[in-house]
Amino acid sequence: MAAAMMSLEAVTKIYAGGPPWSRMQVVAVKSIDLAVAEGETLALVGESGSGKTTLGRLCLGLIEPSRGRVLLEGQSFASLRGRLRGRLSAVLQHPQSSLDPRRRVGASVIEPLRIGGQTSRRDAERRGAEMLARVGLDPSFAERYPHELSGGQRQRVAIARALVTTPRFILFDEAVSALDVSVQAQVLNLIKTLQQEIRFAALFITHDLAAARYVASRVAVMFRGEIVDLVPARELYGTATHDYTRQLQRASGLEESAVAPGAQGETQP
Amino acid sequence: MTPALEVRALVMEYASRRGRFRAVDGVDFSVQPGEAIGIVGESGSGKSTLGAAIGRLPIPGVRRVAGDILIDGRAIFDLEEPTLRALRQSELGFVFQDPIRWLDPTMKVGRQVAGVLEQPSDRGTVEQLLESVGLPDAEHVAGRYPHELSGGMAQRAAIGMAIARRPKIIVADEPTAALDASIKGQILDLLVSRCAAFRTVLLLLSHDLSAIRRCTQRVLVMYGGRIVESGETATVLSKPKHPYTSALLRSAVGREAPGGRVEPIPGAPTAFSARQEACAFAPRCAFAVERCRSSRPEPRRFRDRDVTCHRADEAEALDLEGTHHGRRNDEP
Repeated sequence: MAAAMMSLEAVTKIYAGGPPWSRMQVVAVKSIDLAVAEGETLALVGESGSGKTTLGRLCLGLIEPSRGRVLLEGQSFASLRGRLRGRLSAVLQHPQSSLDPRRRVGASVIEPLRIGGQTSRRDAERRGAEMLARVGLDPSFAERYPHELSGGQRQRVAIARALVTTPRFILFDEAVSALDVSVQAQVLNLIKTLQQEIRFAALFITHDLAAARYVASRVAVMFRGEIVDLVPARELYGTATHDYTRQLQRASGLEESAVAPGAQGETQP
Repeated sequence: MTPALEVRALVMEYASRRGRFRAVDGVDFSVQPGEAIGIVGESGSGKSTLGAAIGRLPIPGVRRVAGDILIDGRAIFDLEEPTLRALRQSELGFVFQDPIRWLDPTMKVGRQVAGVLEQPSDRGTVEQLLESVGLPDAEHVAGRYPHELSGGMAQRAAIGMAIARRPKIIVADEPTAALDASIKGQILDLLVSRCAAFRTVLLLLSHDLSAIRRCTQRVLVMYGGRIVESGETATVLSKPKHPYTSALLRSAVGREAPGGRVEPIPGAPTAFSARQEACAFAPRCAFAVERCRSSRPEPRRFRDRDVTCHRADEAEALDLEGTHHGRRNDEP
């Protein structure tokens, strides 16, 4: 078993809720322990408001935990400070809003390298072209603007950009939810292939259980700030043992109850 | 019996900066009262243009080139504006993807619901209607603005408004695409049960195959502005005969075997500027032969479905399923 790349130790995040003068508190994430190994994709499923996105932001160090620690390769975020940049990255749901509309695709892809400041323009450009090829885009795409691209192509660009610094951990937050069925398959397969090659650790946040079990090796089910079930993805091809997980299976049409009306009950004499 | 809806040789075009494109390229079908029909296809297949055309909803740049749509025997493209408006109010209901954006942001939900009711109504009817779509705290919901509701609640209210006048037809265009997986099922069930209660036709437009399976008896598969395969949902989606239907099924996550891979459809859909004189799917089809690229396939009737494919009668021999298409049911 590979060492944990990203780990959360008893992490709790509490937000102040209600009007500023009230003392209402919202516990978005409730003392969670979780580890993602090198080369592993862990999927995180749950409905809106369950705390998935908060957990993702904690993993990126965008917010600090109220209690507990977040560690990258065993080192706490607090001790890593500036060295976190380039080691963590993210692919979000809407690539049309996460890519700068006035910047050519090529420039967007290498921006993280340029910000890091350690790569010369020429090296960055070479690396950018390499990344575009990796995600299956022709070099000519570097000269285009995001609005000239289809949804699937934009998401490929977002993935190239996320990978350009060779991060150790990538967050995919609803990265395929907005895509068409067939394009979804392309992007999911791309993520699987790239992970085998590059061995990053990934947290794949989604509300779609079908995509989760396809792309991940383990699936964590979140409900009201807690992880209520953590199972190997393979087990979700049968009927889950946990009640809430089963409910999600049914809702995603993964259970046989979802077959067309009229086809039910035929097995019974 | 007069069909509730009849679409005859419909051709629709839209204009963009790069010229005119065909969104719908000759579509024929009819629907009996009370049927639940799915229209499935990717973005750009023409399904939304078709859905909007059923109410002659104005989409900028889109126009009808040929063909007709009949609702209860009346050709809607011949109607004057006031008659059309009356028809939309009483016979048609629409449900769209993003209810919060689609509802009027400046008006409380209760007032919007009251606006679609036949009688200038009292609060009681409004609340009754909201309760019938599974919003038990109707009084509270009626007093909210759309942005104060969750997506699921707003979609329930939108369904309530669409069904309020007991229309002949409800067109639901990706009604659950913006919603959480856990409430998708509830919203679909609500749509189906409300339509069944009033013998309203449900036309469900979606690329979500599990939603189509769950809700409809008949399915029309669209590609490149044409219907490529149609028939009973369970039959078509379990034993497809058109290569596109089969490719679409194989690309969707959810039915693959554990550890198996889904196969994306190679290439991307292309837009056409005129009537296609070939099969639109040919450039992406694994089974395309010369005749697919040179002549336009016409729909052919089989025992259990219609298929628009030159090689439809060879379908059984073509191994459409692919060799490693593991469906869960086939697992030992």
